[in-house]
Amino acid sequence: MTDKAYNDCVDNFADGVYRFIVKNIRHTEDAQDIVQSAFEKLWVNRDQVLPEKAKSYLFTVAYHQMIDHIRKSNKMPLSEDTKIPQQQIVQEDEELKQVLMRAINELNPIQKSLVLLKDYEGYSYQEIGEIMHLSESQVKVYLHRARLILKTKLSAYAPTAS
Amino acid sequence: MQLNESTYETIFLLYIDKELSPKESLEVEAFIADNPSYALEMEALQATVLSSVNIQYPFKENLKQQGWNATYSTIIKEDLQAIPGLSTSFKNALKKEVATEGIIVKPFGFNQQKFTFAAIAACLMVFLGYQQLTKTPASNSIAVNTNTLVVPNTNSTKTSDEIALSNASPKTFAKAETLAKTNQQVITKLQLSNSSKTQGIHLLQKESIAMAETAPTNNSINQTVITKLPSNYNNPITINAIPLPISSANIDAEPTEVEKILTSYEIIDTEDPDRTIFIANFEIDGNKLRGLKRKVTSLFKNNKSERNK
Repeated sequence: MTDKAYNDCVDNFADGVYRFIVKNIRHTEDAQDIVQSAFEKLWVNRDQVLPEKAKSYLFTVAYHQMIDHIRKSNKMPLSEDTKIPQQQIVQEDEELKQVLMRAINELNPIQKSLVLLKDYEGYSYQEIGEIMHLSESQVKVYLHRARLILKTKLSAYAPTAS
Repeated sequence: MQLNESTYETIFLLYIDKELSPKESLEVEAFIADNPSYALEMEALQATVLSSVNIQYPFKENLKQQGWNATYSTIIKEDLQAIPGLSTSFKNALKKEVATEGIIVKPFGFNQQKFTFAAIAACLMVFLGYQQLTKTPASNSIAVNTNTLVVPNTNSTKTSDEIALSNASPKTFAKAETLAKTNQQVITKLQLSNSSKTQGIHLLQKESIAMAETAPTNNSINQTVITKLPSNYNNPITINAIPLPISSANIDAEPTEVEKILTSYEIIDTEDPDRTIFIANFEIDGNKLRGLKRKVTSLFKNNKSERNK
């Protein structure tokens, strides 16, 4: 990977990686550190990483650093007094989306990562499996379970929201 | 793909995850159109899908390497240009050709010149050592080879009084008993000779055996240094010697026929398994070898210091 290709990766994937991490750990500074570490690792190993695999590589590195971070700081699950500054939070106008985000935050880290990778990044089951070191069938099963949990929670929240 | 009550949920989940082929997706849409009751199920599942949000990483520019390169490479270039060029003499000092005048540490720690010196010194040491070893003993002590025992007798008094045991130990003395037996005849003759000639220098006491080391003499007078053994030592060799008055007139006298016989060397077979082997002292004149020793020592010292460097 050339320097230019690396910089293209920064332009194209930094936001996605950051979004994925910050949505997971809900801590902006830690998320920024993780993103920085992931890109640092990409830079160090740029000779071994193909440009077309750079996105997957970044998400893989960031995901595993996030898991390490979660294990170390034991910050999962976070309480509702989020440490994300208000300007960093996506302005989710619709109440349903807020409820959905609360429900997602109550999922376990693996399910949460699966949902975020699938919905935000549009990865296939296979790609998610490569990033999270899971088999394709595991991804499918875990993700479906997460969806059903979210569906149940949304249906439970819906009457109160309304 | 069969859509029914038992399979619809899984297929719907695959549909919202966009894991179905276009054809299968069309089939699902057709199934929902045909069964509106499943439309709510589909809506409920689609509600679990997160819509894309716009979150931007705030320090994206810091991650880029181009900025670093542009900034710092320029600074480094400017710094390098600001440094004045190295002087020619300094460059020459860095060259290996110049360094040969100094110290070059060879792989084995020797340079060629010093190795030559060391080799010559080693050869000299071997040669001198060989000379010392092959030197014929000048003293009249009993010299024992592996197979023969040679008893040199320059005069009667020396042989009778001396059993020179160099560096004798108690073990050596124990073995000396057999030697004494072997040489019994010789000693008897010597005693006879002494008594007949009334010539003697000193006596050996009954309870002790003397270790004598003879000094070279220019006349027939025997000068010996006698060391007494401890009195509690069980003397295996007892020689009864009678004190004889020294006759100065006889000292300078010509050796008689008996003396001539006795001065001859006798070869004694020592095939006896209990034979004793006496090994002569190896003596090196320190004054002669001092310079050589100093050179060798300095060589190794220099070599060590070079290695440390």
